[in-house]
Amino acid sequence: MTKAGDDDALVRAAQADPRRFGILYERYFNDVFRFLHRRARHREITADLTQQTFLKAMLALPRYQPRGLPFRAWLYRIALNEIRMYWRRRSEVTVDLHALEVMPLAEEIGLDGREEDLAGLARALSRLNDAQSRLIELRYFDGLPFAEVAQVIGIGEDAAKMRTHRVLATLRQYLVPHK
Amino acid sequence: MKRHYRIAPGAPQPLTDAEIAAHRDGKRLMFNYHRALHRMHRRPLYRDPKSFLALLLIVLLAYLLSESAQKKREEHPIPDPTGQQP
Repeated sequence: MTKAGDDDALVRAAQADPRRFGILYERYFNDVFRFLHRRARHREITADLTQQTFLKAMLALPRYQPRGLPFRAWLYRIALNEIRMYWRRRSEVTVDLHALEVMPLAEEIGLDGREEDLAGLARALSRLNDAQSRLIELRYFDGLPFAEVAQVIGIGEDAAKMRTHRVLATLRQYLVPHK
Repeated sequence: MKRHYRIAPGAPQPLTDAEIAAHRDGKRLMFNYHRALHRMHRRPLYRDPKSFLALLLIVLLAYLLSESAQKKREEHPIPDPTGQQP
């Protein structure tokens, strides 16, 4: 059985008996924790947001319809809402990244990871709007496949691919003067 | 929400599974779930027949008391302490 198929069976079991949700909680706790920690960068806050994400998932589980997609993507969607609520009172959020985390993106847009390249990339990323940043983070920093990126954002897979390529083109455009 | 990115050189301090596991608490999750479920399914007072009757009785009693007080004031008006006639 595939992981998504296995997830579907576990979800159905948890929908019938909420005590069975524990297996999904154990399976995805680390993933959701890391996903939120990449954004919040604070362990205690991340722990609270993770608990809140799983609580909301449990409460919404009766409405969840398994469609053969990883359950993780649905959890990430809830987690993104939680982090957005946490950020809601700020007009700007500072996201701290490390060179190693941005390498997949740097390579995709043709940068070789030198210090000045990364500084330019940080400036270019900072010019993106919320929706564009979200796409790049999910695809390159969280390393999700397009199918999951699409599920988290709530669009089709092809649309996710197209939008990501547009954002990459925008980033390349922003980087031109710094090359 | 506007994001401001900063990229530091090197690799991030990785979170180990053990460090994350310290924050995992399935019992707390179940406790919070049952509490939230209880809150969600709690019927408002006005939808519970017994509470609704009690509420109605209280409102009726308050109305009757205010009416009787009003009647009493009309029958025995309080004299003006300055003694002036209107």
